[in-house]
Amino acid sequence: MLAIMPQYLKFLIRRGNTVDDVHKQPVSKVPSPVGPVIFAAAAFGEIVAYLTYGSLVPLAVLGASAVAFAIGLYDDLAVLGGKVKPILLLFAFVPILVCLVFQSDLYGTRLFFPILGATGAHFTIYTLLAVAAFPIVANAFNMMDSFNGEVSGFTVLVSLALIAGVVLRSLAEPGFSVARLAATLPLLAVSAGFYIFNRYPSRAFDGNSGSLMLGTMFAALAITGGVEIAAIIAILPSILNSFYILASLRGFVERRQMGSRPTYMTPDGLLHASGNPNAPSTLVSLVLLPGPLSEKELVKNILLLTAVTCLLSVLTSVLTWVY
Amino acid sequence: MRLQALIGISVAAWLLVIVETYVFFDVIIPLGPALHSIGVFTAIALLKIALTFGLGALWFVVIVSLTEVYERSLEKRLPPTPSS
Repeated sequence: MLAIMPQYLKFLIRRGNTVDDVHKQPVSKVPSPVGPVIFAAAAFGEIVAYLTYGSLVPLAVLGASAVAFAIGLYDDLAVLGGKVKPILLLFAFVPILVCLVFQSDLYGTRLFFPILGATGAHFTIYTLLAVAAFPIVANAFNMMDSFNGEVSGFTVLVSLALIAGVVLRSLAEPGFSVARLAATLPLLAVSAGFYIFNRYPSRAFDGNSGSLMLGTMFAALAITGGVEIAAIIAILPSILNSFYILASLRGFVERRQMGSRPTYMTPDGLLHASGNPNAPSTLVSLVLLPGPLSEKELVKNILLLTAVTCLLSVLTSVLTWVY
Repeated sequence: MRLQALIGISVAAWLLVIVETYVFFDVIIPLGPALHSIGVFTAIALLKIALTFGLGALWFVVIVSLTEVYERSLEKRLPPTPSS
């Protein structure tokens, strides 16, 4: 990824595929979308994991990510509606179901809770919950993709929490497949690689093809790794962010369709929470309520909050698999 | 510290998940036989389902309330938003 990205960025610039970085003064142009490079790097990692361990888990994760990537790429090129995208993202589960036909232990059908243990095995209920998780998690990641280094830094942190959960589970269950752990590593690798280009000041934007793919990959790994509760805790900031937006706008709305912006920028480059009562509440506006911040400081605060929820996620994994 | 309140809300959300899990496993599930053995449309099954949804609703109400308290405590300090 580190080798391909600079060439791909030059290619995007030559083609004029750049978007405005609206939080800069003056507004700068940034190559977008680099989702295809992120996907290619993740696909390479998952294929290596498949060839090394022979388990279908990495292929199932790759298949789900591919569906989300395709939806996101179409959205980058032609713009999908706020309601169409979540419906299409439900199909990200199809590759997992296909792999399930060939590998019956692809995912467990019990939810493991901290301290108290597992629920009974319920294939239908679990599968329905898992299908519903894809649009929710992918959309949550997509909503976190507004500022330089936000979604990439966020994904690095939550993938570390996810890996900690899978490691603890594999230590607690001797028969637990190492392939499930191997499948999680490409997410950390690609998000860390992307962070180098996406951190402030950004040299690359992932586009919806990148953010939807990262969210879907995270959801697929949480399901196949059997660490769903810890994964939900890790991404609490993005879930709360989506929840605040849904609650204040009363429905699925695209970022670009928001009538009134939750934040505004002053000529000194500082971001402020909007005082407009019609503006939606977002995690960003809540962080900005005590006072304005630069974009770099804002992202630092969001990542600090994510680090706290990731620690809670690791604690959840300890209470689930060690306690 | 700027994030104190938001960290508090996140920790509250986490604690609620833990406590509500305990209520689900130790109070709601033992209320009666498993749903698949008695059918969904029996009084005890409907009660178990309603209580489970109630736990979810409680989580949302608590988180929204905490967030609103945080917002109200700081909104007075916001300057008017520029019209552009």
